Amino acid sequence: MGSRVPRVGIGGPVGSGKTMLIEQIVPILSTKGYKVSIISNDVISKEDAQRMRQNLATDKGLMPEELVIGVATGGCPHTAVREDPSINLSVVEELESKYPFLDLILIESGGDNITTTFSPALADYFIYIIDVTGGDKYPRKRGLGIENCDLLVINKIDIAPYVGADLKIMERDAKIVRGSKPTLFVNSKTGKGVNTVVSFIIKDVLFDALPKSVNSKEIE
Amino acid sequence: MDIDLDEKEISILQLSDSFFPTGLYATSSGLEALSQTKKLKSKDIFQFITMQLQQVMGPSDCTAMGYAYESCKKKDIVSLLRADESLYYMKLIEETRIASTRSGSQLLKCVSTFAKNNKILKDYQIAIAKGKATGVYAVSLGVVTSCLDIPKKKAGMMLLYGLAVSIVGAALRLGIVQHFEGQKIIHELGPVILHAVLENIDRPLSSMWQFAPSLDILQMKHEALSSKMFIT
Repeated sequence: MGSRVPRVGIGGPVGSGKTMLIEQIVPILSTKGYKVSIISNDVISKEDAQRMRQNLATDKGLMPEELVIGVATGGCPHTAVREDPSINLSVVEELESKYPFLDLILIESGGDNITTTFSPALADYFIYIIDVTGGDKYPRKRGLGIENCDLLVINKIDIAPYVGADLKIMERDAKIVRGSKPTLFVNSKTGKGVNTVVSFIIKDVLFDALPKSVNSKEIE
Repeated sequence: MDIDLDEKEISILQLSDSFFPTGLYATSSGLEALSQTKKLKSKDIFQFITMQLQQVMGPSDCTAMGYAYESCKKKDIVSLLRADESLYYMKLIEETRIASTRSGSQLLKCVSTFAKNNKILKDYQIAIAKGKATGVYAVSLGVVTSCLDIPKKKAGMMLLYGLAVSIVGAALRLGIVQHFEGQKIIHELGPVILHAVLENIDRPLSSMWQFAPSLDILQMKHEALSSKMFIT
Protein backbone atom coordinates (compact mmCIF):
# COMPACT_ATOMS: atom_id res chain seq x y z
CA MET A 1 0.00 0.00 0.00
CA GLY A 2 1.35 3.46 -0.92
CA SER A 3 1.65 6.40 1.45
CA ARG A 4 -1.37 8.62 1.92
CA VAL A 5 -1.78 11.37 -0.67
CA PRO A 6 -3.63 14.55 0.42
CA ARG A 7 -7.13 14.80 -1.04
CA VAL A 8 -9.37 17.73 -1.84
CA GLY A 9 -13.10 17.18 -2.37
CA ILE A 10 -14.86 19.61 -4.71
CA GLY A 11 -18.65 19.61 -4.54
CA GLY A 12 -21.47 21.79 -5.74
CA PRO A 13 -24.69 21.90 -7.71
CA VAL A 14 -24.93 20.86 -11.36
CA GLY A 15 -23.49 23.57 -13.61
CA SER A 16 -21.82 25.54 -10.80
CA GLY A 17 -18.39 25.11 -12.39
CA LYS A 18 -16.72 22.23 -10.52
CA THR A 19 -15.12 20.80 -13.64
CA MET A 20 -13.99 24.16 -14.96
CA LEU A 21 -12.48 25.09 -11.60
CA ILE A 22 -10.45 21.87 -11.71
CA GLU A 23 -9.42 22.65 -15.28
CA GLN A 24 -8.06 25.97 -14.01
CA ILE A 25 -6.48 24.64 -10.82
CA VAL A 26 -4.52 21.74 -12.33
CA PRO A 27 -2.40 23.76 -14.80
CA ILE A 28 -1.37 26.17 -12.03
CA LEU A 29 -0.41 23.32 -9.69
CA SER A 30 1.34 21.59 -12.57
CA THR A 31 3.40 24.69 -13.36
CA LYS A 32 4.55 24.68 -9.74
CA GLY A 33 5.63 21.03 -10.15
CA TYR A 34 2.81 19.30 -8.25
CA LYS A 35 1.57 15.97 -9.65
CA VAL A 36 -2.20 15.72 -9.48
CA SER A 37 -4.79 13.03 -10.14
CA ILE A 38 -8.53 13.61 -10.62
CA ILE A 39 -11.45 11.39 -9.64
CA SER A 40 -14.71 12.56 -11.20
CA ASN A 41 -17.95 11.17 -9.80
CA ASP A 42 -20.60 10.87 -12.49
CA VAL A 43 -24.33 11.20 -12.03
CA ILE A 44 -25.57 10.21 -15.44
CA SER A 45 -22.63 10.82 -17.68
CA LYS A 46 -18.88 10.32 -18.08
CA GLU A 47 -18.69 13.65 -19.90
CA ASP A 48 -16.81 15.55 -17.17
CA ALA A 49 -14.13 12.89 -16.78
CA GLN A 50 -13.77 12.59 -20.54
CA ARG A 51 -13.52 16.38 -20.94
CA MET A 52 -10.86 16.75 -18.26
CA ARG A 53 -8.92 13.78 -19.64
CA GLN A 54 -8.98 15.35 -23.08
CA ASN A 55 -8.15 18.91 -21.94
CA LEU A 56 -5.63 18.28 -19.20
CA ALA A 57 -4.02 14.98 -20.21
CA THR A 58 -4.36 14.50 -23.97
CA ASP A 59 -4.17 18.12 -25.15
CA LYS A 60 -2.01 19.82 -22.52
CA GLY A 61 -0.01 16.76 -21.42
CA LEU A 62 -0.22 17.79 -17.76
CA MET A 63 -0.81 14.25 -16.52
CA PRO A 64 -1.07 10.72 -17.90
CA GLU A 65 -4.59 9.96 -19.16
CA GLU A 66 -5.05 7.18 -16.60
CA LEU A 67 -4.81 9.75 -13.79
CA VAL A 68 -8.27 11.09 -14.68
CA ILE A 69 -10.78 8.52 -13.46
CA GLY A 70 -14.57 8.52 -13.77
CA VAL A 71 -16.65 6.82 -11.06
CA ALA A 72 -20.31 5.87 -11.60
CA THR A 73 -22.51 6.67 -8.60
CA GLY A 74 -25.75 4.88 -9.41
CA GLY A 75 -27.61 8.18 -9.28
CA CYS A 76 -26.48 8.76 -5.67
CA PRO A 77 -23.73 11.41 -5.88
CA HIS A 78 -23.91 12.44 -2.23
CA THR A 79 -23.82 8.80 -1.06
CA ALA A 80 -20.66 8.18 -3.06
CA VAL A 81 -18.73 10.93 -1.26
CA ARG A 82 -20.38 10.87 2.16
CA GLU A 83 -22.37 7.91 3.58
CA ASP A 84 -20.70 5.17 1.57
CA PRO A 85 -17.49 6.39 -0.07
CA SER A 86 -16.26 2.79 -0.56
CA ILE A 87 -15.76 2.98 -4.31
CA ASN A 88 -14.02 6.36 -4.14
CA LEU A 89 -11.79 5.20 -1.29
CA SER A 90 -10.91 2.10 -3.24
CA VAL A 91 -9.92 4.20 -6.27
CA VAL A 92 -7.89 6.55 -4.04
CA GLU A 93 -6.03 3.60 -2.51
CA GLU A 94 -5.30 2.20 -5.97
CA LEU A 95 -3.88 5.57 -7.03
CA GLU A 96 -1.76 5.83 -3.89
CA SER A 97 -0.39 2.37 -4.49
CA LYS A 98 0.27 2.71 -8.24
CA TYR A 99 1.42 6.34 -8.35
CA PRO A 100 3.44 7.13 -5.20
CA PHE A 101 4.76 10.30 -6.88
CA LEU A 102 1.35 12.00 -6.60
CA ASP A 103 1.20 15.18 -4.52
CA LEU A 104 -2.56 15.64 -4.54
CA ILE A 105 -5.82 13.93 -5.49
CA LEU A 106 -8.80 16.08 -6.49
CA ILE A 107 -12.18 14.38 -6.03
CA GLU A 108 -15.05 16.01 -7.89
CA SER A 109 -18.50 15.07 -6.60
CA GLY A 110 -21.39 14.56 -8.94
CA GLY A 111 -23.61 17.63 -9.26
CA ASP A 112 -25.79 17.66 -6.18
CA ASN A 113 -27.75 19.91 -3.84
CA ILE A 114 -26.72 22.20 -1.00
CA THR A 115 -26.57 19.36 1.53
CA THR A 116 -23.49 17.81 -0.09
CA THR A 117 -20.52 17.21 2.17
CA PHE A 118 -17.50 14.93 1.89
CA SER A 119 -16.73 12.15 4.35
CA PRO A 120 -13.60 13.15 6.28
CA ALA A 121 -12.36 9.62 5.54
CA LEU A 122 -12.38 10.52 1.85
CA ALA A 123 -11.35 14.19 1.65
CA ASP A 124 -8.98 16.16 3.87
CA TYR A 125 -10.29 19.47 2.58
CA PHE A 126 -13.66 20.37 1.14
CA ILE A 127 -14.29 23.09 -1.44
CA TYR A 128 -17.93 23.87 -2.15
CA ILE A 129 -18.69 25.87 -5.28
CA ILE A 130 -21.88 27.74 -6.11
CA ASP A 131 -22.53 30.37 -8.74
CA VAL A 132 -24.34 33.69 -8.86
CA THR A 133 -27.12 32.49 -11.16
CA GLY A 134 -28.91 30.93 -8.18
CA GLY A 135 -29.33 34.50 -6.86
CA ASP A 136 -27.63 36.38 -4.04
CA LYS A 137 -29.83 34.56 -1.50
CA TYR A 138 -27.81 31.37 -1.99
CA PRO A 139 -25.32 31.70 0.94
CA ARG A 140 -27.97 32.66 3.49
CA LYS A 141 -30.05 29.61 2.56
CA ARG A 142 -27.28 27.68 4.29
CA GLY A 143 -27.11 23.92 3.74
CA LEU A 144 -24.33 21.63 4.92
CA GLY A 145 -22.15 22.26 1.88
CA ILE A 146 -22.11 26.05 2.28
CA GLU A 147 -21.83 25.95 6.05
CA ASN A 148 -19.28 23.18 6.54
CA CYS A 149 -16.90 23.43 3.61
CA ASP A 150 -13.34 24.59 4.27
CA LEU A 151 -13.48 26.98 1.34
CA LEU A 152 -16.61 28.40 -0.29
CA VAL A 153 -16.11 29.45 -3.89
CA ILE A 154 -18.67 31.68 -5.59
CA ASN A 155 -18.29 31.40 -9.35
CA LYS A 156 -19.42 33.28 -12.48
CA ILE A 157 -19.06 36.71 -10.84
CA ASP A 158 -18.85 38.33 -14.29
CA ILE A 159 -22.54 37.72 -14.91
CA ALA A 160 -23.75 38.85 -11.48
CA PRO A 161 -25.10 42.18 -12.81
CA TYR A 162 -27.12 40.39 -15.48
CA VAL A 163 -28.87 38.06 -13.04
CA GLY A 164 -29.43 40.67 -10.35
CA ALA A 165 -27.03 39.10 -7.85
CA ASP A 166 -25.36 41.49 -5.42
CA LEU A 167 -21.90 40.15 -4.55
CA LYS A 168 -21.74 42.31 -1.41
CA ILE A 169 -24.87 40.64 -0.08
CA MET A 170 -23.38 37.22 -0.86
CA GLU A 171 -20.15 38.14 0.91
CA ARG A 172 -22.01 39.50 3.95
CA ASP A 173 -24.27 36.44 4.25
CA ALA A 174 -21.40 34.01 3.74
CA LYS A 175 -19.61 35.63 6.68
CA ILE A 176 -22.72 35.33 8.83
CA VAL A 177 -23.21 31.67 7.92
CA ARG A 178 -19.56 30.58 7.87
CA GLY A 179 -17.92 32.73 10.51
CA SER A 180 -14.19 33.00 9.93
CA LYS A 181 -14.00 30.32 7.23
CA PRO A 182 -12.95 31.75 3.85
CA THR A 183 -15.15 32.59 0.86
CA LEU A 184 -13.68 33.45 -2.53
CA PHE A 185 -15.25 35.04 -5.60
CA VAL A 186 -13.98 33.67 -8.91
CA ASN A 187 -14.61 33.55 -12.60
CA SER A 188 -13.51 30.09 -13.63
CA LYS A 189 -14.02 30.95 -17.28
CA THR A 190 -11.25 33.58 -17.26
CA GLY A 191 -9.31 32.23 -14.30
CA LYS A 192 -9.93 35.32 -12.16
CA GLY A 193 -9.47 34.42 -8.49
CA VAL A 194 -8.31 30.87 -9.19
CA ASN A 195 -4.72 31.56 -8.12
CA THR A 196 -6.06 32.32 -4.66
CA VAL A 197 -7.91 28.98 -4.60
CA VAL A 198 -4.62 27.27 -5.43
CA SER A 199 -2.86 29.24 -2.68
CA PHE A 200 -5.39 27.94 -0.16
CA ILE A 201 -4.79 24.36 -1.34
CA ILE A 202 -1.01 24.69 -1.11
CA LYS A 203 -1.18 26.33 2.31
CA ASP A 204 -4.01 24.41 4.00
CA VAL A 205 -3.78 20.98 2.34
CA LEU A 206 -0.14 20.60 1.34
CA PHE A 207 1.13 22.74 4.24
CA ASP A 208 3.44 24.57 1.84
CA ALA A 209 5.34 21.34 1.10
CA LEU A 210 7.38 21.33 -2.08
CA PRO A 211 6.36 18.88 -4.81
CA LYS A 212 7.61 15.32 -4.16
CA SER A 213 9.63 15.46 -7.38
CA VAL A 214 11.56 18.50 -6.07
CA ASN A 215 12.11 16.86 -2.69
CA SER A 216 13.45 13.66 -4.22
CA LYS A 217 15.86 15.64 -6.44
CA GLU A 218 17.15 17.51 -3.38
CA ILE A 219 17.77 14.20 -1.60
CA GLU A 220 19.68 12.88 -4.62
CA MET B 1 -31.45 -16.01 25.99
CA ASP B 2 -28.53 -17.22 23.91
CA ILE B 3 -26.20 -14.20 23.84
CA ASP B 4 -23.82 -15.65 21.20
CA LEU B 5 -26.65 -16.34 18.81
CA ASP B 6 -28.01 -12.84 19.28
CA GLU B 7 -24.65 -11.28 18.51
CA LYS B 8 -24.37 -13.30 15.31
CA GLU B 9 -27.86 -12.23 14.31
CA ILE B 10 -26.80 -8.61 14.77
CA SER B 11 -23.77 -9.24 12.52
CA ILE B 12 -26.11 -10.71 9.90
CA LEU B 13 -28.34 -7.66 10.06
CA GLN B 14 -25.38 -5.28 9.99
CA LEU B 15 -23.64 -6.81 6.97
CA SER B 16 -26.92 -7.26 5.06
CA ASP B 17 -28.06 -3.69 5.59
CA SER B 18 -27.89 -1.49 2.50
CA PHE B 19 -26.43 1.12 4.91
CA PHE B 20 -23.31 -1.07 5.21
CA PRO B 21 -20.63 0.64 3.07
CA THR B 22 -19.73 -1.59 0.14
CA GLY B 23 -20.74 0.60 -2.80
CA LEU B 24 -23.23 -1.95 -4.15
CA TYR B 25 -25.74 0.87 -4.75
CA ALA B 26 -23.69 1.97 -7.74
CA THR B 27 -24.17 -1.27 -9.69
CA SER B 28 -27.25 -2.45 -11.58
CA SER B 29 -26.00 -5.93 -12.62
CA GLY B 30 -27.05 -5.30 -16.21
CA LEU B 31 -30.45 -3.81 -15.45
CA GLU B 32 -29.61 -0.34 -16.78
CA ALA B 33 -28.29 -1.90 -19.99
CA LEU B 34 -31.55 -3.77 -20.39
CA SER B 35 -33.68 -0.76 -19.48
CA GLN B 36 -32.04 1.26 -22.24
CA THR B 37 -33.57 -1.11 -24.77
CA LYS B 38 -36.94 0.43 -23.65
CA LYS B 39 -38.46 -3.03 -23.61
CA LEU B 40 -38.23 -3.60 -19.88
CA LYS B 41 -41.44 -3.40 -17.80
CA SER B 42 -41.89 -3.58 -14.02
CA LYS B 43 -43.29 -7.10 -14.33
CA ASP B 44 -39.98 -8.22 -15.85
CA ILE B 45 -37.87 -7.29 -12.81
CA PHE B 46 -38.72 -10.41 -10.83
CA GLN B 47 -37.78 -12.58 -13.80
CA PHE B 48 -34.58 -10.64 -14.42
CA ILE B 49 -33.36 -11.05 -10.84
CA THR B 50 -34.42 -14.71 -10.81
CA MET B 51 -32.33 -15.26 -13.93
CA GLN B 52 -29.37 -13.49 -12.31
CA LEU B 53 -29.68 -15.63 -9.19
CA GLN B 54 -30.11 -18.91 -11.04
CA GLN B 55 -27.75 -18.35 -13.96
CA VAL B 56 -25.05 -16.05 -12.62
CA MET B 57 -24.83 -15.17 -8.91
CA GLY B 58 -25.96 -18.53 -7.54
CA PRO B 59 -23.68 -20.93 -9.43
CA SER B 60 -20.69 -18.53 -9.49
CA ASP B 61 -20.68 -16.01 -6.62
CA CYS B 62 -22.49 -18.19 -4.09
CA THR B 63 -20.33 -21.21 -4.93
CA ALA B 64 -17.12 -19.19 -4.58
CA MET B 65 -18.41 -17.73 -1.33
CA GLY B 66 -19.15 -21.16 0.15
CA TYR B 67 -15.70 -22.40 -0.85
CA ALA B 68 -14.02 -19.31 0.59
CA TYR B 69 -16.01 -19.70 3.80
CA GLU B 70 -14.82 -23.29 4.26
CA SER B 71 -11.25 -22.35 3.35
CA CYS B 72 -11.28 -19.79 6.16
CA LYS B 73 -12.64 -22.32 8.63
CA LYS B 74 -9.74 -24.62 7.65
CA LYS B 75 -7.34 -21.65 7.73
CA ASP B 76 -6.32 -22.66 4.21
CA ILE B 77 -5.12 -19.52 2.44
CA VAL B 78 -4.16 -21.45 -0.71
CA SER B 79 -7.75 -22.67 -1.20
CA LEU B 80 -9.04 -19.20 -0.41
CA LEU B 81 -6.89 -17.65 -3.10
CA ARG B 82 -8.12 -20.32 -5.54
CA ALA B 83 -11.71 -19.24 -4.90
CA ASP B 84 -10.71 -15.61 -5.35
CA GLU B 85 -8.96 -16.24 -8.64
CA SER B 86 -11.70 -18.52 -10.01
CA LEU B 87 -14.49 -16.04 -9.36
CA TYR B 88 -12.49 -13.08 -10.65
CA TYR B 89 -11.86 -14.75 -13.98
CA MET B 90 -15.47 -15.87 -14.25
CA LYS B 91 -16.65 -12.26 -14.32
CA LEU B 92 -16.59 -11.41 -18.00
CA ILE B 93 -17.52 -7.72 -17.75
CA GLU B 94 -14.50 -5.61 -16.88
CA GLU B 95 -16.46 -2.91 -15.01
CA THR B 96 -18.28 -5.54 -12.95
CA ARG B 97 -15.04 -7.32 -12.19
CA ILE B 98 -13.34 -4.14 -10.97
CA ALA B 99 -16.40 -2.95 -9.00
CA SER B 100 -16.61 -6.32 -7.28
CA THR B 101 -12.98 -6.16 -6.13
CA ARG B 102 -13.44 -2.60 -4.89
CA SER B 103 -16.56 -3.51 -2.91
CA GLY B 104 -14.86 -6.60 -1.52
CA SER B 105 -11.68 -4.87 -0.40
CA GLN B 106 -13.68 -2.12 1.35
CA LEU B 107 -15.85 -4.77 3.03
CA LEU B 108 -12.70 -6.44 4.41
CA LYS B 109 -11.26 -3.14 5.50
CA CYS B 110 -14.46 -2.14 7.29
CA VAL B 111 -14.91 -5.49 9.08
CA SER B 112 -11.26 -5.59 10.10
CA THR B 113 -11.89 -2.45 12.19
CA PHE B 114 -14.08 -4.48 14.55
CA ALA B 115 -13.08 -8.13 13.91
CA LYS B 116 -9.50 -7.70 15.02
CA ASN B 117 -6.71 -10.27 15.33
CA ASN B 118 -8.14 -12.63 12.75
CA LYS B 119 -5.21 -14.22 10.93
CA ILE B 120 -6.96 -15.43 7.79
CA LEU B 121 -8.66 -12.05 7.33
CA LYS B 122 -5.29 -10.33 7.69
CA ASP B 123 -3.55 -12.81 5.39
CA TYR B 124 -6.20 -12.30 2.71
CA GLN B 125 -5.82 -8.53 2.92
CA ILE B 126 -2.04 -8.87 2.66
CA ALA B 127 -2.46 -11.09 -0.40
CA ILE B 128 -4.67 -8.40 -1.99
CA ALA B 129 -2.15 -5.66 -1.18
CA LYS B 130 0.61 -7.76 -2.78
CA GLY B 131 -1.48 -8.39 -5.90
CA LYS B 132 -1.80 -12.12 -5.17
CA ALA B 133 -5.58 -11.88 -4.69
CA THR B 134 -8.28 -9.55 -5.99
CA GLY B 135 -10.72 -9.25 -3.06
CA VAL B 136 -13.70 -10.03 -5.27
CA TYR B 137 -16.88 -9.30 -3.29
CA ALA B 138 -18.45 -12.75 -2.79
CA VAL B 139 -15.15 -14.24 -1.62
CA SER B 140 -14.56 -11.32 0.73
CA LEU B 141 -18.04 -11.83 2.16
CA GLY B 142 -17.24 -15.52 2.63
CA VAL B 143 -14.11 -14.50 4.56
CA VAL B 144 -15.81 -12.01 6.89
CA THR B 145 -18.88 -14.17 7.58
CA SER B 146 -16.60 -17.07 8.43
CA CYS B 147 -14.53 -14.83 10.71
CA LEU B 148 -17.68 -13.58 12.43
CA ASP B 149 -18.97 -17.16 12.85
CA ILE B 150 -22.11 -16.50 10.87
CA PRO B 151 -23.55 -19.87 9.69
CA LYS B 152 -22.59 -20.60 6.09
CA LYS B 153 -26.08 -20.93 4.64
CA LYS B 154 -27.12 -17.68 6.26
CA ALA B 155 -24.01 -16.09 4.77
CA GLY B 156 -25.14 -17.37 1.36
CA MET B 157 -28.55 -15.79 1.89
CA MET B 158 -26.89 -12.51 2.89
CA LEU B 159 -24.91 -12.53 -0.35
CA LEU B 160 -27.79 -13.24 -2.70
CA TYR B 161 -30.27 -11.10 -0.77
CA GLY B 162 -27.83 -8.16 -0.90
CA LEU B 163 -27.25 -8.54 -4.63
CA ALA B 164 -30.99 -8.88 -5.31
CA VAL B 165 -31.78 -5.78 -3.24
CA SER B 166 -29.10 -3.80 -5.10
CA ILE B 167 -30.86 -4.64 -8.40
CA VAL B 168 -34.27 -3.68 -7.01
CA GLY B 169 -32.72 -0.42 -5.77
CA ALA B 170 -31.40 0.22 -9.27
CA ALA B 171 -34.85 -0.51 -10.74
CA LEU B 172 -36.35 2.01 -8.34
CA ARG B 173 -33.86 4.74 -9.29
CA LEU B 174 -34.26 3.97 -12.99
CA GLY B 175 -37.99 4.50 -12.56
CA ILE B 176 -38.90 0.97 -13.62
CA VAL B 177 -40.68 0.09 -10.37
CA GLN B 178 -42.16 2.10 -7.53
CA HIS B 179 -41.27 1.58 -3.87
CA PHE B 180 -44.07 -0.82 -2.85
CA GLU B 181 -43.57 -2.90 -5.99
CA GLY B 182 -39.87 -3.15 -5.11
CA GLN B 183 -40.61 -4.55 -1.67
CA LYS B 184 -43.14 -7.01 -3.11
CA ILE B 185 -40.49 -8.25 -5.54
CA ILE B 186 -37.94 -8.67 -2.73
CA HIS B 187 -40.50 -10.64 -0.71
CA GLU B 188 -41.38 -12.88 -3.66
CA LEU B 189 -37.70 -13.54 -4.32
CA GLY B 190 -37.37 -15.26 -0.95
CA PRO B 191 -37.88 -18.84 -2.21
CA VAL B 192 -35.66 -18.18 -5.25
CA ILE B 193 -32.84 -16.93 -3.02
CA LEU B 194 -33.24 -19.85 -0.63
CA HIS B 195 -33.18 -22.38 -3.47
CA ALA B 196 -30.14 -20.76 -5.09
CA VAL B 197 -28.25 -20.88 -1.78
CA LEU B 198 -29.08 -24.53 -1.09
CA GLU B 199 -28.21 -25.53 -4.63
CA ASN B 200 -24.87 -23.75 -4.80
CA ILE B 201 -23.31 -23.07 -1.41
CA ASP B 202 -21.68 -26.53 -1.18
CA ARG B 203 -20.98 -26.89 -4.91
CA PRO B 204 -17.32 -27.84 -5.57
CA LEU B 205 -15.28 -24.97 -6.95
CA SER B 206 -14.48 -27.07 -10.01
CA SER B 207 -18.22 -27.12 -10.84
CA MET B 208 -18.69 -23.38 -10.57
CA TRP B 209 -20.40 -21.89 -13.63
CA GLN B 210 -22.39 -18.97 -14.98
CA PHE B 211 -24.26 -18.60 -18.25
CA ALA B 212 -26.06 -15.46 -19.43
CA PRO B 213 -24.45 -14.65 -22.80
CA SER B 214 -27.09 -12.18 -24.03
CA LEU B 215 -26.77 -10.17 -20.85
CA ASP B 216 -22.97 -10.33 -21.01
CA ILE B 217 -22.97 -8.82 -24.49
CA LEU B 218 -25.50 -6.16 -23.51
CA GLN B 219 -23.38 -5.20 -20.49
CA MET B 220 -20.22 -5.02 -22.58
CA LYS B 221 -21.97 -2.51 -24.82
CA HIS B 222 -23.32 -0.67 -21.78
CA GLU B 223 -19.95 -0.22 -20.08
CA ALA B 224 -18.73 1.76 -23.08
CA LEU B 225 -21.64 4.23 -23.02
CA SER B 226 -20.87 7.80 -22.00
CA SER B 227 -24.30 8.46 -20.52
CA LYS B 228 -25.34 6.13 -17.72
CA MET B 229 -26.03 6.13 -13.99
CA PHE B 230 -24.61 2.79 -12.94
CA ILE B 231 -21.48 0.71 -13.08
CA THR B 232 -22.93 -1.68 -15.61
